[in-house]
Amino acid sequence: MNNDNSFELDLFKSFKEGDETAFTHFYDKYFSRIKSFSVQFIYDQDEAENLAQEAFLHLWQNRATVESLNGIQSFLYTYSKSKCLNMIRHNKVKDRFKSEILNQKERELDIEILNSVQFDTLELTELERLIQESISDLPPKTREVFIKKRFENKKNAEIAEEMQVTLKAVEAHMTKALKILKTKLSDYLFLIFILICNN
Amino acid sequence: MTSELIYKYLSNEASEEEVRTLFEWIDASAENKKYFITLKKTWALSALSQEISIDAAPVIAIRPKNKVFQFFKYAAAFVILCGLAKIALDVSPKTKSKSKEIILEWSDGRSEIITKNNQEKLVLDQNRHLIARKLPNHIIYYGKVPNQKVVYSTITVPYGKRFTVTLSDGTIVSLNSGTTLRYPEQFGLNGKRSVYLSGEAFFEVSKDKKHPFMVNANKVDIEVLGTKFNISAYPENPTVNSTLVEGSIKMSEVENKANVVLLQPNQMATWNNNSKKIITKEVDASFYNAWTKGEIAFKDTPFSTIAKIIQRTYDVEIINKNADLARQNFTGTIKISESSVANILELLKRDTPFQYVIEQNTITITNLPN
Repeated sequence: MNNDNSFELDLFKSFKEGDETAFTHFYDKYFSRIKSFSVQFIYDQDEAENLAQEAFLHLWQNRATVESLNGIQSFLYTYSKSKCLNMIRHNKVKDRFKSEILNQKERELDIEILNSVQFDTLELTELERLIQESISDLPPKTREVFIKKRFENKKNAEIAEEMQVTLKAVEAHMTKALKILKTKLSDYLFLIFILICNN
Repeated sequence: MTSELIYKYLSNEASEEEVRTLFEWIDASAENKKYFITLKKTWALSALSQEISIDAAPVIAIRPKNKVFQFFKYAAAFVILCGLAKIALDVSPKTKSKSKEIILEWSDGRSEIITKNNQEKLVLDQNRHLIARKLPNHIIYYGKVPNQKVVYSTITVPYGKRFTVTLSDGTIVSLNSGTTLRYPEQFGLNGKRSVYLSGEAFFEVSKDKKHPFMVNANKVDIEVLGTKFNISAYPENPTVNSTLVEGSIKMSEVENKANVVLLQPNQMATWNNNSKKIITKEVDASFYNAWTKGEIAFKDTPFSTIAKIIQRTYDVEIINKNADLARQNFTGTIKISESSVANILELLKRDTPFQYVIEQNTITITNLPN
């Protein structure tokens, strides 16, 4: 972990100096996170990918303003957050439901969620550590389902088949995983919330 | 049922009809909405840890030791208790001999139970003069030409309840759980405005330079002109704490008036029964009157004190047999109406593991079995 860190610190220095290889390292590391985050609010894989690309372009152009290694993630997330908010507000998110009321309601909720998250660098690092720990702490089967679902983007039916369990069991594992994660992470999420209120 | 629905929604597998049901549920209460928002945030941010593989060995959780961070963590954690897991603690109201209701004892010896469901009503004295108006959680005395004779009423607020009294001079007194206040129905024409306190109260004293306001608590008098301050003088504690928000107050020993301190805003004076000394220190006064806003606040507070506060606030009894916990200090804020005792214990448990059982309104805390 420490070795990793000093390696990354070196890369960060190079990145600040305009080294493209260093930039590529961070791109590879964070791209899918940024995409996965955005897709939760704009509901379109392609759009989310574009948005992530843009975020990195923006990062490269503004690398002078990034003050620390952790600042990279915070920069990217903050950019994605405001981009998502903009897209929602300017009706650039495609309708997901037939009912306009539901579309409208979903946008309102998403705006509220986005507004309540602030990507303070300290928070983000801490949160990341906690999420890793929490996922590792899940019961093995539940963890497997969660990872297949969340990070490999598999459908419930696929997971059920791969793991030789029923669809119901997959759903139950997911519900359980979410519940555990929610309990473990909730204080951090609200910490972020509190920091915003205090600022 | 709802968790499953939320999960289905988050993984984009919910039908339009299901989404409609979910959104209706979200709209049904602020609490539901908060719950949903928390889940979706967790969901969106869990993309943070992309590298984890299925075979990842469980990592032993290491707590952040950074003190400041710890503080925020708990501050945050306490706040979130609200509205999450709803483990309501069933408190039986019959087990204690003391009254569970707010009791107002009139000067003529009559007493009356003031319950929450009581209708708003007007209060007349023996001569059929209107003296006060009673609301569900508040009694307001009317200021009128002071009587010749000052007569006292006593109001007793049991554990688990809070109440507010507006005195005839306009002074507002918020009474915390387990508190008794004795006060004149009408203040006299001359001399001081005196009241007697056992327990905890927050005073907003209306200005009247000719008639200083005086609170007697335990063995000290607190004298004021017009000001806002909190006094905590529970009989089970050997101390009286007085915290000043605004104005100025003077705390002095009843028996020895020379033993006196003058307080500035954001200072707290502490009287100690044993040493007979009054000590002052700088504090954040808002922390000490958090309870008037329906919150309990801790700052590096030992568990023993927290247990007492929980007992009073929720009207329960806590028996602690866990020595580690007894030594532990905690920091945080809890919304009283939105948390249960079980919520709070679950939270404390995360820092210092312990086991507890709730039987009626007694909670017994023990060590984890080895």
